[in-house]
Amino acid sequence: MSLRVAQAIVAKDLRTEVRSRSAVSTVLPFAATMLLAFGFALGPDRLLLARTAPALLWLAALFASVELCHRSYQHEAANDALEGLLLSPVDKGAVYLGKAAAAFVQLIALLVVTAGIVIVLFGLPVGPAPVLLLLTAVLGIAGLSTLGSLLGLLAVRSRTRQAALPVLVLPLVSPVIIAATKATAGLTHGATAGIGGWLGLLVAFDAAFLAAGYIVFGHLLED
Amino acid sequence: MTTTQRAAVRLSRVTRLFDGLAAVSQVSLEIAGGETVWLRGWNGSGKTTLLRLIATAISPTFGGGSVLGFDLQTERSAIRARTDLLSHETRLYGDLTAAENLRFACSLYDLDARLAGPALERVGLDEVAAVRAGSFSQGMRQRLALARCLMRVPALILLDEPYAALDVDARVVVDELLITAQAGGQTVVVASHEAPPGHLIDREVTMDGGRVITPTMVAP
Repeated sequence: MSLRVAQAIVAKDLRTEVRSRSAVSTVLPFAATMLLAFGFALGPDRLLLARTAPALLWLAALFASVELCHRSYQHEAANDALEGLLLSPVDKGAVYLGKAAAAFVQLIALLVVTAGIVIVLFGLPVGPAPVLLLLTAVLGIAGLSTLGSLLGLLAVRSRTRQAALPVLVLPLVSPVIIAATKATAGLTHGATAGIGGWLGLLVAFDAAFLAAGYIVFGHLLED
Repeated sequence: MTTTQRAAVRLSRVTRLFDGLAAVSQVSLEIAGGETVWLRGWNGSGKTTLLRLIATAISPTFGGGSVLGFDLQTERSAIRARTDLLSHETRLYGDLTAAENLRFACSLYDLDARLAGPALERVGLDEVAAVRAGSFSQGMRQRLALARCLMRVPALILLDEPYAALDVDARVVVDELLITAQAGGQTVVVASHEAPPGHLIDREVTMDGGRVITPTMVAP
């Protein structure tokens, strides 16, 4: 039952995003503009561009996660659909897992496009360990989507709504962004020493966010 | 109401405060299983808050009670599985079609998705099953929410201003829901300042200022 509920939430959220194109129409133009602006500001020094690229890539992913999770809960708040979820006799943890999984899929898609822009504009190399790079992307995005999906609910239920989400997310997600940036930088430039530590940190934060979200989500949803 | 009927709703001195103000104050109320009750009162009298308390959408600040034999505070999941609250906020997803909205509800309530088609037909929305709910009028959305309720057959139906924004045809759907509920032994509470057809109502309960003032009996 729980798995079926999570699957239904994923399908519903992805269908909603495909039809509304809200993330694509706001997040991608922002990411592209930000990367272009930094590209011009940093100048033609290819080495400098390549060194700053990992941080810019993860900053774009961070912005995308905040915007995406905010919009996801805006859809739930419209017509009080969130109350529909509250009043359904389902495991609320399964609802959270569905929301987080849908955010994960969308963020991975956005990261792929953004990474393409970074590779072309900044000359970011894929490096000698593409599998580890992929693992870094998966773990980093998992951290952003698990935390964003939990705090997005808090934000939509607060009086300040949109303003609340970045205030809640940014301090908590900083370790994920730092670890993902360091791991990406190391892997793309061949400096793989210490990568295991950063990936371990990502796994620890992902697990903590996921467990906290699964346990707390139902309580946050209640009156 | 006979004394042999088991109470579907039993509230004891329930109070709900919002920012220190009582929306519902010291309400004690008993509704028998299978009864159809018209909860009447002016806007702001506390009808909606009372329905939301019974549906467990909100918690009482003070007091307690039971719904369908389950405790209002500790057995919410059991109450939710057997109750449906229909309000002006239809809880639909605008980017999903009518059929998709119902199928999503089927997933949440562990129902067969094939129930969606007949339910849409019953509320007259079968021809727009593949149209997104976001393009529907308020009346059509209300009908779609009614279709969701028809699929579930809950033991307790809570209708908040069900006639608002509905045309004559759609009002018939609400009345049919009341008739079906009566025939099936379902309990219904209709909160409305507009009178439902008298023959469909067993009892009136009037609210004013957050209090129940006249739990009168309707003549049989």
